[in-house]
Amino acid sequence: MNSWLAHHLASLADAVRRLLRTPFSAVFTALAIGVAITLPVGMYLGVTNLNRLAGELPTQPEISLFLKENASQGERDALQHKLSRHPAIAQQRFVSREAALQRLNAQGLSDVTAGLDKNPLPDAWVLSLRHANPQAMEAVRQEFSAQPGVERVHADSAWAERLQAMLGLGRQAVLLLSALFGLALVAIASNAIRAQILARREEIEVSRLIGATDRYIRRPFLYYGALQGASGALVALGILALLGMALSEPVGQLASLYGSPFRLRPLDLAETAILLGAATLFSWLGAWIAVTRTLRKFD
Amino acid sequence: MIQFSQVTKRYPGGHTALENVTLGIEKGELLFLTGHSGAGKSTLLKLIAAIERPTGGAVTVNGQNVGRLSRHAIPFLRRNIGLIFQDHKLLFDRNVIENTLLPLSIAGFDRREAMKRARAALDKVGLLNRERAMPVALSGGEQQRLCIARAVVSRPALVLADEPTGNLDAGYAIDILHMFMDFHRVGTTLVISTHDERAIQAMGGRVVQLDHGQIVAGS
Repeated sequence: MNSWLAHHLASLADAVRRLLRTPFSAVFTALAIGVAITLPVGMYLGVTNLNRLAGELPTQPEISLFLKENASQGERDALQHKLSRHPAIAQQRFVSREAALQRLNAQGLSDVTAGLDKNPLPDAWVLSLRHANPQAMEAVRQEFSAQPGVERVHADSAWAERLQAMLGLGRQAVLLLSALFGLALVAIASNAIRAQILARREEIEVSRLIGATDRYIRRPFLYYGALQGASGALVALGILALLGMALSEPVGQLASLYGSPFRLRPLDLAETAILLGAATLFSWLGAWIAVTRTLRKFD
Repeated sequence: MIQFSQVTKRYPGGHTALENVTLGIEKGELLFLTGHSGAGKSTLLKLIAAIERPTGGAVTVNGQNVGRLSRHAIPFLRRNIGLIFQDHKLLFDRNVIENTLLPLSIAGFDRREAMKRARAALDKVGLLNRERAMPVALSGGEQQRLCIARAVVSRPALVLADEPTGNLDAGYAIDILHMFMDFHRVGTTLVISTHDERAIQAMGGRVVQLDHGQIVAGS
């Protein structure tokens, strides 16, 4: 047990020495792995940030019901009566034209509204439905479009649905890209190890002649591969941090233009750990494949 | 200890290195393999250590058919065999003591115990004062002695030597033969391929002569 542990430590030390002995190739392999990781992880960060942004928006699609300017009090009462008893409608909220104008002013558009000689906005009801599926929304839209005193019914669910669909697509793409770049990582690591194996062919051969098991021979190469993967992951974290720093200010400015406190979120601790672990594992796997193939070739 | 039963070894391409060889080697025996180069001496040694597999017949070592060993079992067979090569097969990126330690590291010895044994082996071959030297700094005879130290450091019951004195001048050769005599005296089984007639006469022991893959004398 003791000597087993000793060989693990010796293999690790050996791997570190070999990485340091060929700093250029080690750095370039780390860069290649780092860039390969940065692409899917960067996209993952993009999608999760967009998801968070989308989460700040009303998730329930709403229907806006605009009244005619000349709608009579009778028509308004009938409409209110009908809305409050409608089985499909969960909530309704009346927004008067004055309230709507005030909201515009509050949102920093007072320059624009000041130029108007009269309030152009209509009175409106904002509805949310019990079941916000497209069919139910369409049914309500049609029903109230025909109601006297109603100018127009606007169901603004489409863009929210599209956004959700696109985010879903983005998540899928992140998964596929991750799988693809995981494969690339295995290939890069495997290639880097192959050079190492060629340089140590004699040592492998001699070790086998004097009774080394495949496991014993593989060990230092596996550590080398794992270290290479981990250093690649560190490079990727560095690149992502730089990208984050470069983007955080413009994103913050853009967000504050829209009155949003939104800020870019970097990788959290768990995600960083997963990234490091996955890169190490994939690179280890690449090393395993390369060494095992070589060992079989010796037979 | 070692039994060849009607062993044939044909290499891909059709060259027949050994043909129908039957040979028994007792525990503790000292055996010389002689014959012209290409007679099959090296192949015979390789079959014992499972470096090659026979194409016909069976090679058994300690009752194990080594031609049928799985690739996972072969390392454990080899740990009980000390191999000495004509070209030494030293690792040139490690110093003398690290080369000697390699079999012990592979076998999983505790480092302190391994150091003790490695120094004892180097002492036996007269290289103890060179333990920090790199192999390139050693003479041909010293490299061969280092190869011997590495072969015997784990105290194997069987030592196979392929032309151990082939590249050495007479003085070095006699040194090395004396070492082999010492191993023989403590009960190690030795199989040595050589065409050095003086060596054979000086040491005694059994002689098996090969010619074109067949035993022509001494079986």
